[in-house]
Amino acid sequence: MEYILTTKQLSKYFYQKKALEKVDINIEKGKIYGILGPNGGGKSTLLKLAAGLLKPSGGEITIDNKNPGVYTKSIVSYLPEANYFYKWMKIRDALNFFKDFYDDFDMERARKSIEFMKLEEKEKITSLSKGMLGRLKLALALSRKAKLYLLDEPLNGIDPVSREKIITSILDAFNKKSTIIICSHLIYYIEKLLDYVFFLSEGQIILAGEAEDLRNKRGISIDRLYQEVFQ
Amino acid sequence: MITLLKYEIYRRWKWLVIRYAALIILGLIFFNRASASPMQYDIIAASMGKFFLISIVVFAIIIVEGINMLKEDLFESSGYLTFTLPKSERSILFAKNFLLFVQLFLWALVSIQFGTMFLKLLPLEEVSRYMAEIDLPVYPAILFVLTAFFNFVLMVQFSLTLTRTLLYRNKYSGIISVGIFFLLAYLIENFYYGPFLNQIKHAYIEIGTSSASNIDLLSGGYTAVFLNIILAIIFFTATAYLLENKINI
Amino acid sequence: MEFNNCSPIYLQIIDNIKQDVVMGKLKTGQKMPSVRELAGKIKVNPNTIQRVYQELEREKITFTKRGMGTYLTDEEKIIKLLEEEISDKIIQEFINGMNKLGFSNDKIIGILQEYL
Repeated sequence: MEYILTTKQLSKYFYQKKALEKVDINIEKGKIYGILGPNGGGKSTLLKLAAGLLKPSGGEITIDNKNPGVYTKSIVSYLPEANYFYKWMKIRDALNFFKDFYDDFDMERARKSIEFMKLEEKEKITSLSKGMLGRLKLALALSRKAKLYLLDEPLNGIDPVSREKIITSILDAFNKKSTIIICSHLIYYIEKLLDYVFFLSEGQIILAGEAEDLRNKRGISIDRLYQEVFQ
Repeated sequence: MITLLKYEIYRRWKWLVIRYAALIILGLIFFNRASASPMQYDIIAASMGKFFLISIVVFAIIIVEGINMLKEDLFESSGYLTFTLPKSERSILFAKNFLLFVQLFLWALVSIQFGTMFLKLLPLEEVSRYMAEIDLPVYPAILFVLTAFFNFVLMVQFSLTLTRTLLYRNKYSGIISVGIFFLLAYLIENFYYGPFLNQIKHAYIEIGTSSASNIDLLSGGYTAVFLNIILAIIFFTATAYLLENKINI
Repeated sequence: MEFNNCSPIYLQIIDNIKQDVVMGKLKTGQKMPSVRELAGKIKVNPNTIQRVYQELEREKITFTKRGMGTYLTDEEKIIKLLEEEISDKIIQEFINGMNKLGFSNDKIIGILQEYL
């Protein structure tokens, strides 16, 4: 079995805080994964480790069988929760920026996506609302033909209309050669998209399984299951 | 690296143009004023002084910008974009500092050119007397100052990076990086340059007794530049190492 | 298409499609939307839709024409089986529900006769 992302006893500590504690995960290609859990449970930390922004305290993490580095950054498309754009940019600059740095960036798709998200190229980043920034980030991240997409809370601060657009965009980006990992606590809206879920809390995986399997065994939605597990 | 450099320039190209255009245009204006009043040394001196001030201001802007280029990626959320680019942290750092270096070089070129032009307006004997009194080897001194300030920025960059590495997100980061910087400055002053500065002092004393040859003094000056270059490489490598292997963004 | 998140979605979608066939909403021999099309339309993971189509194919409700797509069967006998399957299910659910409320099977027959 070829895994796009593997962690072996992966740990991350910040001073005394254990963000991740000896986590073992195998992520297959061509699937959509959900990493669910309360804030501070380790979801963002796991994504940042995969993106190469954080360095492991212990254990290891490999993407496409390589340690995080220049190569993995070229095949991983990371969507952070924060607004990571440079303040001097206009949307057009952001598009060109991605095109210049990422070989797998599809400009046509990006332009269509920008239009779909009701954004204009000439707008300045500093003039965009939180919702617009969220849509822009996603349009850019999903316009890369990456092997692994890491979406950290893509639906936060998004209005209902945009939310549907984002879900559509995620489905459009999906293909058998790529993998999408979504972290969200708005489970209700994304659970139909998920093949497999991990429940991550206090740095450890407390539950994992195929979404349909969990529905079958427990007779409740993943959303409901989350509420039961995390009360 | 080219793409990185392209964006470091593109994002501030207007400021770059304004900066150097102002330096050159104001330089020309003040020079005209000075050369239009030959022999009126007070006017010439005043124009020279004004140009000198402008030059220092531009210099300060270049230095501060050099520090900010890294600081914003370390401490602001734009770091998420910069450090997920498929480029080595070394080349990201190199692009920023290459631009800094080019700017320092340009600034020096323009300032020295105007400086020379202004000096030619002054009576030759007085200038030579002035130069002899100072007894300074000119070119090594200029290079020394340039490389010293370049190092200043690299040291600040290292301090900031070290602080960010040790304290992941702390409100005291600013104070601590200043502390680290001064500690480094002190260590370098005493253990790196110390012994060498004594050598320079020796060289001056010997000139006073007119026994040292010009070659010794010059090599003394260039040795300082060489030491600076070594220091620059050390700091750059250390910062790049932290960025690549230790830092958590 | 209606389904909830409380039980396997792929099963619910299969049921929905079967019902649509029996009710005539889907015409026999009709071309089915592609996996991506259907996934995008009902906002469901394409792998789930894939599983739906695999199951439908296994039950011979759909068949694939190479290079052309997936089509609904036009075999009468299969449609008939489907009708029976669906009606059986509804009736079974009804009886279970009534039994739960306390109605015996004889009573159910009586009530039905009156009702209809």
